Amino acid sequence: MAWFQKEDPAPVPPPKSSAAPKALKISSLLSEDVVLFPPAGIDKTAVFEGLVGAVCRDAGLDSALVLPRVLEREKGISTTLDTGLSLPHARVVGLGEIAAGLAVLKTPIPDPAQSGLPIRVVFLFFSPDKREAFPLHLQLLRGVASLFQPALIERLAASTGPADALALVRQSEG
Amino acid sequence: MLSFISFWRASAIVLCDLASTAYYIGGIVEQAVGKSAPWFILAVMLFSYTIRAVYMESCSMFVRGGVYKVVKEAMGGTLAKLSASALMFDYALTGPISAVSAGQYLAGLLNTLFPHFRIGWQVDPGWFSVVFAIAATLYFWWENVKGIHESSDKALKIMQMTTVMAVVMLAWCGLTLWLHPAALPPFTLSFSPEGLGWAKGVGWLKPVGAIGITMAFGHSLLAMSGEESLAQVYREIEAPKMKNLEKTGLVIFLYSLLLTSAVSFFAVMIIPDSIRIHQYGDNLLSGLAMSVVGPHWARVLLQAFVVGVGVVILAGASNTSIVGANGVLNRLAEDGILVDWFRHLHPRFGTTHRLINLIVGLQIATILLCRGDVYMLGEAYAFGVIWSFVFKTLSVMVLRFKNREHREFMVPGNIKAGGVEWPIGLTLIFLVLFATALMNLVTKRIATISGSIFTAAFFAVFLFSEHWNESRHAGAHDLREKFNLRPEDDLAHLRGIPRRARRVLVAVRDPSNLRHLHKALDELDSVKTALIVFTSRIRTGLALVEEAVEMDRDEQVLFTKVLEAAEKHGKTITPMLVVSNEPFYAVVQAAQAVSAAEVVCGVSAKFSSEAQLERLAMTWGSLQTDKQPVRFRIIGQGVEHSEDL
Repeated sequence: MAWFQKEDPAPVPPPKSSAAPKALKISSLLSEDVVLFPPAGIDKTAVFEGLVGAVCRDAGLDSALVLPRVLEREKGISTTLDTGLSLPHARVVGLGEIAAGLAVLKTPIPDPAQSGLPIRVVFLFFSPDKREAFPLHLQLLRGVASLFQPALIERLAASTGPADALALVRQSEG
Repeated sequence: MLSFISFWRASAIVLCDLASTAYYIGGIVEQAVGKSAPWFILAVMLFSYTIRAVYMESCSMFVRGGVYKVVKEAMGGTLAKLSASALMFDYALTGPISAVSAGQYLAGLLNTLFPHFRIGWQVDPGWFSVVFAIAATLYFWWENVKGIHESSDKALKIMQMTTVMAVVMLAWCGLTLWLHPAALPPFTLSFSPEGLGWAKGVGWLKPVGAIGITMAFGHSLLAMSGEESLAQVYREIEAPKMKNLEKTGLVIFLYSLLLTSAVSFFAVMIIPDSIRIHQYGDNLLSGLAMSVVGPHWARVLLQAFVVGVGVVILAGASNTSIVGANGVLNRLAEDGILVDWFRHLHPRFGTTHRLINLIVGLQIATILLCRGDVYMLGEAYAFGVIWSFVFKTLSVMVLRFKNREHREFMVPGNIKAGGVEWPIGLTLIFLVLFATALMNLVTKRIATISGSIFTAAFFAVFLFSEHWNESRHAGAHDLREKFNLRPEDDLAHLRGIPRRARRVLVAVRDPSNLRHLHKALDELDSVKTALIVFTSRIRTGLALVEEAVEMDRDEQVLFTKVLEAAEKHGKTITPMLVVSNEPFYAVVQAAQAVSAAEVVCGVSAKFSSEAQLERLAMTWGSLQTDKQPVRFRIIGQGVEHSEDL
């Protein structure tokens, strides 16, 4: 449908992402206490339950209150990516700062919500349920998805334990 | 890419049609009404200001507000088909009269030049102009089949050349009259037998008074043929559309008023009576060039310049007539009047080539029938011009009562009385046009006979075609645009998008949920930003790799709505369709491939805007290879959620 061709205008730089919060160190959100290696044969919900429990213990949250929010969110748009990363999350009222945990699955588990798409790593986090915290929440989603690429996921699956996995994450993050 | 043009370019396109009449109007009108012709041409050019206003009001109601659309909305399909038939007669003659006139000018120049080079040839202007006109029409047929990608550029260049010619010519004529003063043309009417037509034998219809003036006005009316191009070009005008249309209207009015009227006056005042019509009736401006003061060689050079520009602008008018007729027939085809076969897109160029073939076929037949007689063409031509104006003005009047919504522009002269706004200005314009049209029926025999036959034939074709269409498709009108898909291996260098322009990707899916597209178009500065309107076709498994490169019905409906939105706003867009297995991946992959700085989505019926943003963010991260910032916007009714990443 091109009828008339315009001349090329002067180059215009893309906008600076000024409103975006400062880059977040993902590895700084993790400790060995919240890095789990669930056993084989376990399903997605069980992995989430275990990880929610660990993160809640570490952050002083009530898992009975938080777990339903994570599972409710999972009923919406999927949080599992083609790379094998699952990113369950919830925004929690009263939470002061982000709390996160990591589960490494030596044997991938299928995500029933995504036609059995295999999950190999689960990065779960809670963020404050405040309007001003939402940009950071999105930034973290993007950052985690960007960090946990197939190469790192492969190496995590071959890692020997929480300390080794955490070192790999730190190393990849640079 | 669907892009839009400035008011200068729009003016140039319309002027190629409108201003080209300066080359033949003087000769035609003088042959009919005598030496007072320039006064009537001036009157018509002044009156064209009101026609411009009528077209502007119709465009303010309909982006594609040509005669057919407006008449249909106001008075129904039958009269709309009739008016479109009259308009087709106009277009069938615009091309030939322009091309034949160009041939006449060229023949005149050759006959002037041959003796200078001691060549003993003389070309027959009639047959030479027929051959030239057919060659020019075939050239533009091929150009239009290929698509008129750069036609506004060409039109602008043509008008620049014409302006130089007009300045030189007017200055030279001014100098001539300063050195050899001449009286203004008389106001006395002197109708030729052909100019009186069937009124010749009616005693009370003497060529004096109001009736004579109306008769002469009717003979001069084709001076403003080309106004319909204003409606055809409106959809192509960039934002702010109505303001730019107003500017376009003013430019074409002033330009054609100055050029067409001035050269008509100068021709009568400068060219000796003995040779003006006899020798230069079909190439009056050549006669003017050869009659100004100065050495013979300079006048021959001036004639060559005038003819050179004339050939180009008249050829431009021939092209505009093909473009305009194609536009009108496309509207008819979309509305189910013409069978869908005509809307077939050329497999290589994506143009409606069968419609172009039809128009050009008619034009070539007209050229052959007229055998190079510009007067005959001009006489016939007026029929389509006047009746399409009559229908158009009447319809805009009727719509004042049928559709009382606010218009961005209204023809002035409205009086509010009894709670109703009475369109006095429009009524007066209509009455002038209608009286002139009725008078033309009596005085312009060629126009009445040929116009009636042609219009009736086209009307019958439209009726039959519509009936056939309805019987096959149970009356369902197919309002979808036709699209050609062009596969792209690399989206980063999308054709037509300036490489370093800021890029915004708008994801669309539901044709009834395009609020976000309208918002993005509203905010868009087409000069600095490229808007890519994107949809994804979701397929899985083998279907993904075996996908046909053709739009399905839903996609055609969606992109028709997208196209309408872009036309309404007058903003440039690049439509894109991607085959994918997951909608969010498709959006993000496309956005990253085109280096979009902003991604705009509509609110989902199923998910919250937060959930949409979350999924976009994580998909963006999983696919992102650099740290280019991006802004995500989710827009819906009363909702706007924007986040920078």
